[in-house]
Amino acid sequence: MEVMEKREAGSKAGAREYLTFRLGQEEYGIDILKVQEIRGYEKPTRIANAPHFIKGVVNLRGTIVPIVDMRLKFNCAQAEYDSFTVVIILSLRNRVVGIVVDSVSDVMELPTDSIQDAPEVDSVIDSDSVMGLGSLSDRMLILLDIEKLMSTMDMGLSSGE
Amino acid sequence: MSDVHQESGGDNFDLSQFYQIFFEEAGENLDLMEQMLLNMDLVTANDEDLNGIFRCAHSVKGGAATFGFSDVAELTHQMESLLDKLRRHELDPNSAMVDVLLESADISRVLLARHQTSDTSDPPSTVDLVRRISELAAGGGVTVASAPAAPASVPSAPVVEPVPVVAAPAPPAPVAPTAVAAEPPPAAASGQRVLEVRMGPLDRPELADGIKDLFRDISGLGEISELPSQQADYRLFKVVTTSSNDDLLDLFVFHVSREQVHIQPMGGAPTASPAAPAQMIAPVAATPAASAPPAVAAAAAPPKPAAPATFGFFDGAPGAPGSEGAPKEASSPVTKAAARPAAASTSSVQPEAATIRVAISKVDQLINLVGELVITQAMLAQYSQTLDPTQNQQLLAGLADLSRNTRDLQESVMSIRMIPMSIVFNRFPRMLRDLASKLGKKVDFVTLGEATELDKGLVEKITDPLTHLVRNSCDHGIEMPADRLSKGKTETGTITLSAAHQGGSIVIEVRDDGRGLSRDKIMNKARERGIDVYDQMTDAEVWQLIFAPGFSTAEVVTDVSGRGVGMDVVKKNIAALNGSVEIESSEGFGMKVSVRLPLTLAIMDGMSVGVGDEVYILPLSAVVESFQVKGDALSTVGQGSQLVKVRDEYMPVIELEKVFQVPRYNRDQDSDIMVVIEAEGSRVVLLVDELLGQQQVVVKNLEANYRKVPNVSGATILGDGKVALILDTSALVRRSRH
Repeated sequence: MEVMEKREAGSKAGAREYLTFRLGQEEYGIDILKVQEIRGYEKPTRIANAPHFIKGVVNLRGTIVPIVDMRLKFNCAQAEYDSFTVVIILSLRNRVVGIVVDSVSDVMELPTDSIQDAPEVDSVIDSDSVMGLGSLSDRMLILLDIEKLMSTMDMGLSSGE
Repeated sequence: MSDVHQESGGDNFDLSQFYQIFFEEAGENLDLMEQMLLNMDLVTANDEDLNGIFRCAHSVKGGAATFGFSDVAELTHQMESLLDKLRRHELDPNSAMVDVLLESADISRVLLARHQTSDTSDPPSTVDLVRRISELAAGGGVTVASAPAAPASVPSAPVVEPVPVVAAPAPPAPVAPTAVAAEPPPAAASGQRVLEVRMGPLDRPELADGIKDLFRDISGLGEISELPSQQADYRLFKVVTTSSNDDLLDLFVFHVSREQVHIQPMGGAPTASPAAPAQMIAPVAATPAASAPPAVAAAAAPPKPAAPATFGFFDGAPGAPGSEGAPKEASSPVTKAAARPAAASTSSVQPEAATIRVAISKVDQLINLVGELVITQAMLAQYSQTLDPTQNQQLLAGLADLSRNTRDLQESVMSIRMIPMSIVFNRFPRMLRDLASKLGKKVDFVTLGEATELDKGLVEKITDPLTHLVRNSCDHGIEMPADRLSKGKTETGTITLSAAHQGGSIVIEVRDDGRGLSRDKIMNKARERGIDVYDQMTDAEVWQLIFAPGFSTAEVVTDVSGRGVGMDVVKKNIAALNGSVEIESSEGFGMKVSVRLPLTLAIMDGMSVGVGDEVYILPLSAVVESFQVKGDALSTVGQGSQLVKVRDEYMPVIELEKVFQVPRYNRDQDSDIMVVIEAEGSRVVLLVDELLGQQQVVVKNLEANYRKVPNVSGATILGDGKVALILDTSALVRRSRH
């Protein structure tokens, strides 16, 4: 409840906090309130016949959590797993999902007026899932609606009924 | 409850938050009442039973009236007045009364369900029932009037009898103190106590006056009179009663909360002399504390010996000539023994402290947390093996303690979810009674081991298959009384339902001494249906045929047509719980169906198998055998499907490596271990690399955060913290059929 109120207050004031991470050369931001925790990458248990970007499932303190590699999903040039590879555990509306990213950079506050609508471009990311583009001096931040992105059918996370 | 009563006078107090509690309690009370009614022996009905039944009806009535469910209150009120006469021995119980009371309990349930779901459709009519109850109650009233020996008694006061006959014996309320002094019922006098009951501080002291009505309504409770109180917000009463303090408190909570009641003996010791109570009786007194012997005495009656173990099914086959009557003898002590604790618990001292209601989600959360703890502990244990024992002695000792405590903790937590089988068994006596009378059969129902505990989730799922089996036994197994007599059996058939722990599983048996299965008829039927049978089949194999879909036992064994789900559904439901069904039968002597189930759904015995670098878990209940084969033992059909010959039987082979697209890093390695699994009545062979071991695994849901995965029923966490998938054997078997 409290969180919700804070969030309301924050959006009224025109500022929201985003967790930013890198995928290849691009920088993305997601609503910090969706983030449960950040942890190192451990080899998940592979699931047969799953899309290639779903690496499998891991044991998160007793909960079975699927792991999505965003680099594979967004067709990044390379996706290596080393000691610096990071998994962001997202707490979405009805599920917990982990996403693999190259690195987590920052938590930053973005005022609404520094966010502009994303232009229609041909991309692997469904334009509905992009909330907008944030500009920070010379850097561009792609703000993802991670909830929407994770619930799209082609993520293959739900049975799709 | 107490809070409700206290504040119900408040203008905008919302009672609805207590509705759920009331519905649960009322349901429990009705169940208990039904059970006691069925267990009651009409001839030797004792006061304890009758009082217990009365209390149930009274509790429901009280609650219903409080919450304004007038139809339920009215009906239970009528039941209560009939029961009141029974327990005061103004009437002798007969089966018509039991019938009408059972029916009333059913209607009460329907009415309650309507209130619970806010159903606005027309309620079932209670007029006829109310009339029949009052007729029965009135009929007794006449007998009493004509019996001079009966103690002067009073019909329970507020009964508004619609039938004129009711008038009953009618001597007016106040009984002369001398009369009581002259003929004190010995039992009552010995247990009678004079108490001072102080209630307060009360916001609305007039609420406390309601307890006087209690004493007026419930005969046998005793006398009450009000004493002047020093403080305005306190009420003081003098009570003469044989009931225990706890019983009184339980009654008083209808009006004031428990904490506000203080009971202490008045003027010291309980009165032993017969004259004493007479002096104490105040003018308000309505009824002499006549027919209520101390409940304690009855409860303390020595329990009947446990049933003779009649498990061995064919030694002294029940109903076989020569052992007639044996089942009957066995049956009564058993049901009695079961009834006794139930009845005793209602009158026993601390019903409140005995149980607490907890949301199942909280328990599940606890189980999950303990599951994690177990995994963490297993991890620590694994890492600690590499430590040097001489340098880390204390650490290792601590870890050993941790391991033991974790195991104990896990056991205790798992036991929270366990509920006794009696929850399931209790529904059968009623069902059988109705069914048997409908079919015109005579059936004794015996239950054994109802204290055996089973996971709540399983209990819910096992009820329907068991109902079907019991119904089958009654419908198709037990013969008509005349047939039984002509075969030299007792007229009354016996159906036995038993539950017992065997190792890590629970075995539930449904047994009857009816006609049994006919091997010839089943074989003929199977041939008709084109099922492949041969004369050398063992009995066990023949009995398994009745589990084939559409293979109705009714068509095979009797002329009565089958109904509802068939045996195939029973078997399927039980297999879905990782259980198994077995049948033993002897024609003419009865049959026995044994259902074997794991104790819980949350933990499963698994066999871990390795394929490539991956580990999968097979439910151990599905594994038949495993062996090593040479690659050339496989034959193919149509260049695709592989078959292997296992003891003269060709079985389809499923390569897990292919099903799960397991990557191979080591080209030289090849799957050469075969595991035969059985599910849904078929067997298939799984080809794996190695057998890793056998362990208990905690079953986790994969769909909570992900989705249904083909051929996988769930996941678990291994000792090293890794996730392993649990194979769905039914799906694998189905896969091989296509």
